[in-house]
Amino acid sequence: MSRRKRMLEELDQDIRDHIAQETQDNIDRGMSPANARYAAMRKFGNVTRVKEDTREVWSFVWLGQLLQDIRFGLRMLRKSPGFATVAILTLALGIGANTAIFSLIDAVMLRSLPVENPSQLVLLKWGARNEPNTHGYMSAGDCANDMGHGAQNPSGCSFSEPMFREIAQANVFSGTAAFANSGRLNLTGNGPATVINGQLVSGDFFRTMGLKSAIGRLFDAADDTPSAGPVAVLNYGYWQSAFGGSRDVAGRTIELNNVPFTIIGVAEQRFTGIAPGSDYDVWLPLSDGQRISPSGPFRWNDRQADVAFWWLTIIGRLKPGTPLAQTQAVVSGLFRNEMLNGSVPLFHPGQMAGAPAPRPPAGDGAQIRHEMVIGGTPAPVRSKSPTSLPTPPQPAPGNGPVQTSRETPGGPMPQSAGNKPVMMLAPQGAKPAGSPHPSEMARGPKTLSTAADNPEITLVPVQSGLTGSRTRYSNPLYVLMLAVGIILLIACANVAGLMLARAAARQKEMAVRLALGAGRARVVRQLLTESVMLSVLGGALGILFAYWGAHSIISFVSSNQPRPLGFATGVDLRVLGFTVAISLLTGILFGIAPTFRSARVDLTPALKEGEGSSASSGRSGRRWFSIGNALVLAQVALAIVVLVGAGLLVRTLANLRSVDVGFDSHNILIFGIDPTLVGYKVPQVDSFYRDLQGRLSETAGVQSVSYSMMPLLSSSLMITSFHWPGAPQDQESEADALGVGPNFFETLHIPFLAGREFNASDFKLSASNDGATPTSAPTPVIVNQAFVEKYLGKEYPLGKHFGESAGDANGPASPGYEITGVVRDAKYSDLRREIHAMMYTPQHMGGASFELRTAADPQALLPAIREVVAQVNTNLPLFDVKTESQQIDRLLFQERLVARLSGFFALLALVLACVGLYGLLSYEVSRRTREIGIRMALGAHPGSVLKLVLRQGIVLAIVGAALGIGVALGVNRYLASMLYNVQPGDPVTIVSVAILLTLVALAACYIPARRATRVDPIIALRYE
Amino acid sequence: MSTKEEDRRIELLQGTLDLLILRTLWLGPAHGHAIAKAIEFNSEDVLQVEQGSLYPALHRLIKRGWISVEEGTSENNRRAKFYRLTPKGRRQLVVETRKWDKLVGAIARILRPKKQEGEL
Repeated sequence: MSRRKRMLEELDQDIRDHIAQETQDNIDRGMSPANARYAAMRKFGNVTRVKEDTREVWSFVWLGQLLQDIRFGLRMLRKSPGFATVAILTLALGIGANTAIFSLIDAVMLRSLPVENPSQLVLLKWGARNEPNTHGYMSAGDCANDMGHGAQNPSGCSFSEPMFREIAQANVFSGTAAFANSGRLNLTGNGPATVINGQLVSGDFFRTMGLKSAIGRLFDAADDTPSAGPVAVLNYGYWQSAFGGSRDVAGRTIELNNVPFTIIGVAEQRFTGIAPGSDYDVWLPLSDGQRISPSGPFRWNDRQADVAFWWLTIIGRLKPGTPLAQTQAVVSGLFRNEMLNGSVPLFHPGQMAGAPAPRPPAGDGAQIRHEMVIGGTPAPVRSKSPTSLPTPPQPAPGNGPVQTSRETPGGPMPQSAGNKPVMMLAPQGAKPAGSPHPSEMARGPKTLSTAADNPEITLVPVQSGLTGSRTRYSNPLYVLMLAVGIILLIACANVAGLMLARAAARQKEMAVRLALGAGRARVVRQLLTESVMLSVLGGALGILFAYWGAHSIISFVSSNQPRPLGFATGVDLRVLGFTVAISLLTGILFGIAPTFRSARVDLTPALKEGEGSSASSGRSGRRWFSIGNALVLAQVALAIVVLVGAGLLVRTLANLRSVDVGFDSHNILIFGIDPTLVGYKVPQVDSFYRDLQGRLSETAGVQSVSYSMMPLLSSSLMITSFHWPGAPQDQESEADALGVGPNFFETLHIPFLAGREFNASDFKLSASNDGATPTSAPTPVIVNQAFVEKYLGKEYPLGKHFGESAGDANGPASPGYEITGVVRDAKYSDLRREIHAMMYTPQHMGGASFELRTAADPQALLPAIREVVAQVNTNLPLFDVKTESQQIDRLLFQERLVARLSGFFALLALVLACVGLYGLLSYEVSRRTREIGIRMALGAHPGSVLKLVLRQGIVLAIVGAALGIGVALGVNRYLASMLYNVQPGDPVTIVSVAILLTLVALAACYIPARRATRVDPIIALRYE
Repeated sequence: MSTKEEDRRIELLQGTLDLLILRTLWLGPAHGHAIAKAIEFNSEDVLQVEQGSLYPALHRLIKRGWISVEEGTSENNRRAKFYRLTPKGRRQLVVETRKWDKLVGAIARILRPKKQEGEL
C-alpha cells in the first residue's frame, strides 16, 4: 500500500485520537466532559478543512474539486436560464466575431504553405546598391520587389535562367526550383476555347516542394529539356471543374496557344500555387515557355541563355545539417561572380531586321521608352517626389501582386495573366535592347554590376518572403480585428454587469458558505469556474457563428475576383486554440470583479438582512452601483469608437462611389480578347479588331463599340515617357498612356473639347511608326485637359509636336507625336488616383479590351456577342467579361468589404451597449422598488419617477459618448490611409453617431423607466 | 467562528509552523497532540496554534522526508502516532533556523535602526 494511501486512511483516526487527548486534558483541568469536548473541538479547528488540506498535501486534489465546481456551476446556471442564455449569447457573439476574423487572418497571413516542410524552403533575393544592367526584368509579384526610379538599394527575387541553372548544378540545395508566370494561355481541345492561367516551372519544382500527384505523375528533370515533348500538369480544382474530375485525363492532349500538350497528371488537392493566394490552372515545364509564347521564338530565345533577362523566381530546399549562412555564402558567391564577370550580351542589329518583327523593339527609339506601370498605383501621398515629375509609383506594399516587366521599348505588352496587374519600369539610363549603342560596342562587353554595388543574395524563408496576395488583404483584416476586439470587450463588460447583479443576489448564499467555513480561495475558485464555464459555452456557440460568418465573408470576396481565391479557410487547430484561449481569458476577465466582490462579503450584515432592504442597498448597493455605472460607461464609449470608425468607412465608400469618373460608366459591357494567342500577327491584329468592331456595332442592342489596350478603371495603367521640346536634352517627361480604337470617346461618352477622333489613316500611320521603318509623320495622339494644363499652358494644343528625336547614339530617329484632339479629364486606373496628364494613341497591336455601350442590360447581350466573335474565329475565347459597373465594384471591393463588416460590427456594438444600459437600469429599478414605492406613496408624480430613471440613463449615455469620442479621435488616426475625402476627425460623422447613440439609448432607458412609474406603492412597500 | 477574532490572531506563515515542529521534535519523538501542547507551552501561550493545522504540516514534512512516523503508545496508554526527526530533518532544521534568524535580524534592523534614538 502506498505511503500516501496509508497516511490518509489513518488520518481520521489520528484526528479523533488528537481530539480525544485534548478532551481528556481539558477534563483533567476541571472542565465538564461536555465543555471539555466542545473546547477541544474548537481548539482543533475545522475538521473537514483539515482533512481537505492534508489530502491536498498528497494529491492533485484540485482536479476533483474542479469537477465538483463544474457540476455545481452547471446546476446554478440551469436555475437561472434567463441569465444564462443572455450571457452565453452575448459571449458567443463576441467570441464568434473574433474567431471569424482570426480564421481569415490565419488563412491569409499565417497558414503555412501547402508543401512538405515549408520551413526548409528559402527564397533567393538579390540586392545591390544600384540596379544591375539587365535587359529585361519580370516578376510575378510573389515577393516585394524594390526597384524603379531612384530606388535606394534595390532588391528583388527575379533571376536569369542561366543563373538558375548554375545554382541548381552547384548542388547547394537538396532541391532547387524556379518558376514564372506563363502569360495568358488559350486552351483548346477541351470544349469551347477558354483562356487560363499557367505557371512555368523547372523540372525539379514538384520534387523540391515535396508534392504528390492526385492522378498520374508530376514533372521530373527529364521533362524540362528542349527535346522533351510538351507536357502539362493540371491544378486539382481546375481538373474538377474543366475536366469533370475524370480519372482518364492523364494522356489526353490539349492545345495551349495552338501548341499540343500532353496532360501527364494532376497535382494534389491542397496545392494551388506556391505564393499565397495564387491559383494556377496548369503547370508547364520551363523549356516549353518558348513554344507557347505568342511573340514567337524570336523573343524567347533571349531568355534561356540571356544572363541579363531576369524572369525566374528561385526557391531552394536547404540541406538538413547545413547551416543557412553557409549555403547563403555559396549562392551569393555564385551570383556575385556572375554579376561581376559575366558579360551582358548585346543584341545584334541583324537579328532584328531579319526577323518578321512581330514585336519590333526598335520602334520608337531610345528616347521614347514605353513604361507600363500597371497595378494598383498608390494614392498620391505615397509618391516620393512631389515636385514636377511624378515618380512612377513604386510597388508599394498595399497594392497587390505586381508583375514587373521591363521590356524593350515598344516591346510586347507583358501578357498579364488573369487578374495579376503588371508593372513595368525601365530604369533611367538602361540601354534598351535592340538598339545597339555604338559607344557600347566600342567599349566591349559590359558586366551586370560592379564590385562597388556589392551585389549579393540573401536567403529568406519562404513563409515570410513569398508574400503573394497577402499584402492586399492585410490592412482591412487588421482593422476588422480591432473592431471585433472592441466588441469582445463590450461583451465582457456586459456580462460582467450581469454577473455583478447576480452576485448581489447571491450575497446570502456566499455569506452562508463562508460562515460554514469555506476558504475564500475556494469560493473564488468556484465562482471563477462558473464564469469560465459560461464563456466556454459561449465560445462553443461562437465557433458556429464564426464558421458561418467566415464563410459568408469569403464568398463575398470570391464573388469579386475573376479567379477563385487561393486561400482555403476552415477551422484548423490554430483557430481552435485561439478560440479556447480567448474563451478562457474572457471568462476570467469578466468573472474577476464580481467574484472578488462576492468573496469579500461582510458576513454578519449579509446573513441578517433581507435582499431588498434599503439599509444594505444603501451601503454595499451603492458600491455595486458605481461599478455597474462604470461598466456601462465603458460599453457606450467603446461602442462609439466602433461606430465612428464604421461611419468614416461607410462615408469613404459613398464618396468613392460618387466620384466623377469622367465618362458614363453605365450600360457598358467589357470583355478582353487576345488574337495573338492563336497566332495572329500584328497587321492582322489591327484589321481583326476593326473588323470585329464593325460587326459588333451592327449587333442589335449595341449602341456603340470600341476597344482599348485595357479597360478604364481596371486598376491597370500604362505610363510613357518622352522628350518635350524645349526641355533639357536628357530630361524625360511623362504622361499616362492608353491605346484606343476608333470611336472610343464616343462610346464612353467622353466629350471632345477640341479636335477629332482618330480616323483610319491615323491607325495606319501609327502602325507604320511602330514598325521597322517609321515614317516622318508624327503619330497622332489625343490628350486630356490635365496634359494641356501641364505641358501647354496657354499654348494652342492642336497640332503641337513633341517627343520627336533625331537618330542619335541612343537609337534611330522617331517622328514623335502630334496632338489631334483634346478631351475632358477622365479617371484611368483607379478611383482614388488623381487624374494625370494623359495621352491616347491609336491602338494596333497586342491584346485588347472591347467596350460596348448597350441600350439596355449589358449582360443580356452576351450570348449574341459571343456568337459574333465566334463567327470571326471560333477559337477565340472572351475573357474577363464584365460590365463597367461590376468593374467599379471590383475596384471598390476592399472598401465595400470593410464598410459592410464594420457597419455590421458597429451596429452590434451599439446593440450590446444599449442592452447593457437597459440591464443596468432594470436592475436599478427593481433594486430600488421599495424606495420608489415610498416616494410614490408620499405623493411623487409618476413623471418625476420617470425622470429619475431616465436621468441616470441619459447621463451615462452622454458621458460615455463623450469619452468614446475622445478615444475615437485618437484611435481613428490609424484609419487615415483607408479614408477618402473624409478626415479621421470628421465632425459630421461624429455628431450623427452621437445622435444615433442617444436616440437608441433613450429607447433603452425608456422601458425600465416606464416600469418604474407603474410600481404600485402598496406592493412595493411590502417588497422584501 | 467570527471573522473578527481571526484578525486578532497572528497568522503564522506556513513555513514557520514547519520550523517549530522540527524544533520541537529535535528534543525527541512526540505525538501530534504533544507537539501542539509543546509549542503552546514553550512559547508561553503566545502562539495558540490551531491544532488542526498541525496535521497538514506534519504530512508535508513526512512527504519531504524530514520526519518519520511510527506507531506507539502515549502517556495515558492510548495508541498514537509518534513523529521523529530524520537525519535529513536535522540538517534542515539548522538551515531553517539560520534563515529565520536572518529574516528576523533584517526586519529588526529596519524597525529599530541603531542610529536613531526614540521609541517606536
